[in-house]
Amino acid sequence: MPLLDEPIKGLPLVKNFINGEWVESKGEIKDVVNPAKDEVIAKVPISTKDEMTAAIEAAKEAFPDWRRTPPVARARSLFRLKELLEKNFEELSRIQTQEHGKTIDESRGETRRGIENVEVACGIPTLMMGYNLEDIAMGIDEFVIRQPLGVFGIIAPFNFPFMIPLWSAPYAVATGNCIVIKPSPEVPITQVRLAELVDEAGFPPGVWNVVHGEKAVVNGMLEHQDVVGITFVGRTQTAKDVIYKRCGETGKRVICQGSASNFMVVMPDCNVRATIPALMTSFFGNTGQRCLSGQTLIIVGEDNKFYNDFMDAVVDATSKIVIGNGLDESVQVGPLRDKGKKEMVLKYIESGIQEGAKIRLDGRVNTKVRGDYPGTCFLAPTILENVMPDMKIVREEIFGPTMGVMRAKSLDEAIEICNNNPFGNAQAIFTSSGKNAKEFQYRVVSGNVGINIGIAAPMAFFPFSGMKDSFLGILHTQGQEAVRFFTESKVVIQRWF
Amino acid sequence: MKLQTAAEVISFAKKLEDESAKFYENLSQKYVKDEDTFRSFAKENGKYVIQFQRAYYSVISDAIEGCFAFAINPDEYSFEIELAGNTSYYDALNTALEMEERMIKFYSDAAEQSMPLMADVPRVFALIAKKRQSRKPKLRSLLVMRG
Repeated sequence: MPLLDEPIKGLPLVKNFINGEWVESKGEIKDVVNPAKDEVIAKVPISTKDEMTAAIEAAKEAFPDWRRTPPVARARSLFRLKELLEKNFEELSRIQTQEHGKTIDESRGETRRGIENVEVACGIPTLMMGYNLEDIAMGIDEFVIRQPLGVFGIIAPFNFPFMIPLWSAPYAVATGNCIVIKPSPEVPITQVRLAELVDEAGFPPGVWNVVHGEKAVVNGMLEHQDVVGITFVGRTQTAKDVIYKRCGETGKRVICQGSASNFMVVMPDCNVRATIPALMTSFFGNTGQRCLSGQTLIIVGEDNKFYNDFMDAVVDATSKIVIGNGLDESVQVGPLRDKGKKEMVLKYIESGIQEGAKIRLDGRVNTKVRGDYPGTCFLAPTILENVMPDMKIVREEIFGPTMGVMRAKSLDEAIEICNNNPFGNAQAIFTSSGKNAKEFQYRVVSGNVGINIGIAAPMAFFPFSGMKDSFLGILHTQGQEAVRFFTESKVVIQRWF
Repeated sequence: MKLQTAAEVISFAKKLEDESAKFYENLSQKYVKDEDTFRSFAKENGKYVIQFQRAYYSVISDAIEGCFAFAINPDEYSFEIELAGNTSYYDALNTALEMEERMIKFYSDAAEQSMPLMADVPRVFALIAKKRQSRKPKLRSLLVMRG
């Protein structure tokens, strides 16, 4: 299968987008590497705190005018952006594949999900409406209006370079706020292209800013008194120790979406033929680097024949997965984002074995890559059986193409295992029984629940939820909850003499 | 080698439709008596491409789970459409019928395979298979009329 064209050419030096201008950073320069080819494709600055401050100040200055821009006019800017995103859909998707490694199918899915958030935010004149009650007492009316707050920071992870900033950004600007996005320095180019389209769509300078970097710029965001709130997607440890804590100290509102260790519960009454491909995409899609991925498979029941037959089918399907460069349309699983992440996954596999898990399919020795690519970041899917709930490979987030398998005697036991895990991001059940599904949905402590769905990814008009250690905050990104997060309710009580 | 991802099946379907459209365009030029029928077929082929591409690119559940949705053997559905200069109209119509059979089978198989994972793509594939069925009586009637 021939490769699709690579959109990133000529080793560009990425710049910050501050106050409507592309500004070269004074910070240290790092490589952006295409993990499929282990090849440097661009250079990214690790910007300074001062550069973050400049972006925040530009956003602050832009805020009064942007806030006064009628919601319907702000929505029109988003409509123009939506059109540009559609026009550049394929290029945006290929950039994600080239800088992240995911397959082109996955990138196109990500682009679509990102655009859907822009589409939902286009409805801001309706979404932002308040409510009122006439005559709360004779001649006195009361109403609520929603007002923007100022400057928000958006801290994005590496695994969805396009979509995740768009869980927040369109709602923030639609409601009249101004933003500073800090993309992951591992995958900065998608956000650069997005900002170019934002500029082309005619957003005023300072409304949408992008600053590349690491800790210094995050600290700059957290410490700045003019940043009123932050959305963060990343590891729970960072969320707890840094983002949530510092936002609390500085009085910022915050949404922190953290780590996950998700369970896929298979009942003996499931539709096996339909369940197997759903498990493949859940465990191994995006090379396991997503907070909705399955990490542990729980097969319910004491029927050994069902277990053995089911596992034979899972192993057979897994062993046929095509691994390679995501720009080859026949590839089903791309590389891990970088060598360090691959090493981390390898450590988890080793720790699972040391704790008593049994290797059923060893991706470490079976990694056959389609095409002539260095093996630096590739790792074939690995299946471990005899997994127990207290093992590290169940209690911690692996973020790689692995499947741990355990058995539970009953649905009750399976739910208990799910609920005893520290994380609660996305659990799913595969069953033909409505009763089982209802029971699972009711009792499982998880922000997102799949019923015969392996990746329970909420659409843009629903909140992207999360529970337990997978989420810190109250309101979530996407849809109505994002509109609430990016606005304050002002209550007015009025009487005229 | 089987086609497993949505991306490659969509590319394959486009290739089939483009070849089929080209074939009908050729027929329309060669057999002017039935030009309108063949041109309308070629035009429909283009519409089918738009329909399945729209389903693929616009419905995220398809794209996000598309990497494991198919097991299509392209050899089962590919066809020879080059008509030699001395091909009779009768043979050309039979080739068209054979091509339609293969394409209906392709769309039906692809719809059936992807049903558990995808939503709108199998629906559109099934719809196209149904629409293409209606070409067969038209082609058969031409066979009877001109054969």
